[in-house]
Amino acid sequence: MYYSPTYVSCHAVCLRLLHLTDFIVNNKTTTKTFKLRHFFQLKKSSNEMANDREILREIWEGKLPVCFRLDKDEVADFREPDPFYLMVPRLSYFPLVIDKVRKHFLKFVANEKAEQEMWLEYNGQPLKWQYPIGVLSDLLLGPDDLLPWNITVHFSKFPESEVYRFDSKEMVESYFMACLKEADVLKHRGQIASSMQKKDHNQLWLGLQNEKFDQFWAVNRKLMEASGDQDYFKYIPFRCYIDDGYRQKLVKPISDDNHKKTLQDLLEELFPGNKNIKVKTHGMIPPMETPLQWLSEHLSYPDNFLHLCVV
Amino acid sequence: MSEETQETVVQEATDSLQSMNIRTEPVDSSDPEHTKQKVDILLKPTGNAPIMKKKKWTVDSDKKIGWIIEFVKKYLKLEPNEKLFLYVNQTFAPSPDQVVKNLYDCYSTEGKLVLHYCKTQAWG
Repeated sequence: MYYSPTYVSCHAVCLRLLHLTDFIVNNKTTTKTFKLRHFFQLKKSSNEMANDREILREIWEGKLPVCFRLDKDEVADFREPDPFYLMVPRLSYFPLVIDKVRKHFLKFVANEKAEQEMWLEYNGQPLKWQYPIGVLSDLLLGPDDLLPWNITVHFSKFPESEVYRFDSKEMVESYFMACLKEADVLKHRGQIASSMQKKDHNQLWLGLQNEKFDQFWAVNRKLMEASGDQDYFKYIPFRCYIDDGYRQKLVKPISDDNHKKTLQDLLEELFPGNKNIKVKTHGMIPPMETPLQWLSEHLSYPDNFLHLCVV
Repeated sequence: MSEETQETVVQEATDSLQSMNIRTEPVDSSDPEHTKQKVDILLKPTGNAPIMKKKKWTVDSDKKIGWIIEFVKKYLKLEPNEKLFLYVNQTFAPSPDQVVKNLYDCYSTEGKLVLHYCKTQAWG
């Protein structure tokens, strides 16, 4: 039986996803796992490049259970507030999902603090709102950390030097759009994003904000296709997180002699001579032999970048 | 423009994004022995932005875009409440926490990173 490299890597990613789904505390776990197994079997029987839309959907539906607690020093009420539990989408951004959290804790903090910006902290580290939630969890949650993810909520002493303020969702929108355009510069010299209309941009943003897969992908599909007669993107948009920041570099999806490059190739180009680097994304460690073009098309975040965290 | 209000909201948001407080000192000082890599940047005005007499600058590659925005604002003697936008490839506004090295590695031409600056939002 012949397995194309793409097929093998999809297979491997599927298996990892199975682990990921099991790992998530979610009452839908059984159905999801079943769906993935079913998908995997389908692929096995058809043995051809099937549509990998199921993978996109699994990635889209990835969620994390979070337990928010108000910093003890900020409780101004005689009662301790209950913790607030929320399932948050990995692909989203904290400012888009924490309205309810703010509302829940607001009545427990001193009045003069209520107008101040809320910020989040995990293990002494303030959370950067401009990173997708999944990226923050891949960066900050260690292998021994248990879920739910325990996040502390603050209303005072905003850590100005470490985190930018996020005073509106529109700010996240403009940041998100800038990332999307940058990714398109790498993939298609910016031609697809710039030829889109304002309503397409809105649809992408609203799709993400309202967690509507079909709405988002109806437009994102155009950004995620190799343009014209090309089979590949020009370069792969990625950010590789290391040492409190991230690295970007021009990496092509194919080599000069027309071979498909893999995740291994990307990491070797980024960290020459360092063979043992592994990266995590969406809570899993993708197989090193996964082709870059496939990885970019299927495991990119909504901002069209691959976010790879060195582990 | 049928959706002007939306545009305005996003623009205002971008304004505040660009004018956020930023850390101005270099972040990584872990290796003082290591001589810092420097890169050439070319600052070009667009729209109504004033011209800088000196266009070509050499900066530490670990400097953040937010630092460059503050630098240009100071050089042009802009009021603290005035905005300044930077663009790469005349296409996208890099994040204030992006480091120059990444942009240089991806978008430089002929050994220089060209950054357009303007006082109003220019490209999307």
